Amino acid sequence: MTLGLVTVLLLLGLLAALAQRRPDRPHRAALGTGWRQLRPLLLRLPLALLAAAFLITLLPEEAVVDYLGESSGWQGVLLASLFGGLLPGGPAVSFPLVLVLIDEGAGTAQLIALLTAWSVLAFHRVAAHELPTLGGRYTLARLLASAPLPIVAGALAGALARFTAAGL
Amino acid sequence: MPKPPRPDGMTLFFLALAAAAGGTVYALMGPGAVAAAAGRAGGLLLQVAPIVVAAVLISGYAQALIPRESVQRWLGAGSGLRGLTLATAAGALTPGGPFAAFPLVVALLGAGASFEVCVAFITAWSVLGLNRVIVYEIPFLGVHFVALRLLASLPLPFIAALLARPVARWVGLNR
Repeated sequence: MTLGLVTVLLLLGLLAALAQRRPDRPHRAALGTGWRQLRPLLLRLPLALLAAAFLITLLPEEAVVDYLGESSGWQGVLLASLFGGLLPGGPAVSFPLVLVLIDEGAGTAQLIALLTAWSVLAFHRVAAHELPTLGGRYTLARLLASAPLPIVAGALAGALARFTAAGL
Repeated sequence: MPKPPRPDGMTLFFLALAAAAGGTVYALMGPGAVAAAAGRAGGLLLQVAPIVVAAVLISGYAQALIPRESVQRWLGAGSGLRGLTLATAAGALTPGGPFAAFPLVVALLGAGASFEVCVAFITAWSVLGLNRVIVYEIPFLGVHFVALRLLASLPLPFIAALLARPVARWVGLNR
């Protein structure tokens, strides 16, 4: 996590330097966009982490391992896809939640299915952004074309993980 | 000066969830368990907060440095496998959240891009988006996990685009 923070700070420094070299020096625009993204998170992120901590406390021990662990197989992938499609919030909220699930013993293929479903199906994003900008028919067609993707990604990830574990 | 954050629907959802789950924890396990869970959440928040702040700033800079028009110009004419590959690459490179991506799709459709190309673009943006990978996913989940996920996700924009044509006909999109 510390390494992650260092990487992110280096990248931020690089981008700020690039912006500084541009004649228009778009620091103000960049800070404005960043602040608009950060503002809703000030409340949402602590609340989401709190909700996750309470929910994990309520789950019987081993529930995550049983339902979403490596050995949960394709049922686990399916369940993770459903959960991911319903999980609201952007990356700042969902990656910490995935971190909690890893901690509790969820499997890699299942988590990849969850993240893929969250990425391509995310019902909150469909309702808030896609429907208003693209309209009902386009949205429906895209959702139908994307519905199998989380399961494909989970299955591929499982196969790849087995392949690498088998000794590459 | 910025106004204080106004709670939106999603924030209220998490508030209700936290209140209901926290109440249940209190009723079943007592105040000690509530405090332990809150402590765990607080610890995670302290770990996560610096990355999140840096992440939104990076996203702001990326959007200021890569203008929407250049993505649009790059994609407008593409078709076939080459078009899908271009759309996938452009989707992976397009920074910013749904505020930036969906208006871009509308512009692409308006500029004459096919529905398949748009589906490939939006799928690539959502599953391969490099901005999110570098800024959130690697710091949180580590390089090994992310590499495996990206490898497993590489075919997805093409699969979705292949499915898009029959689905569009079935739904009655006249394109």
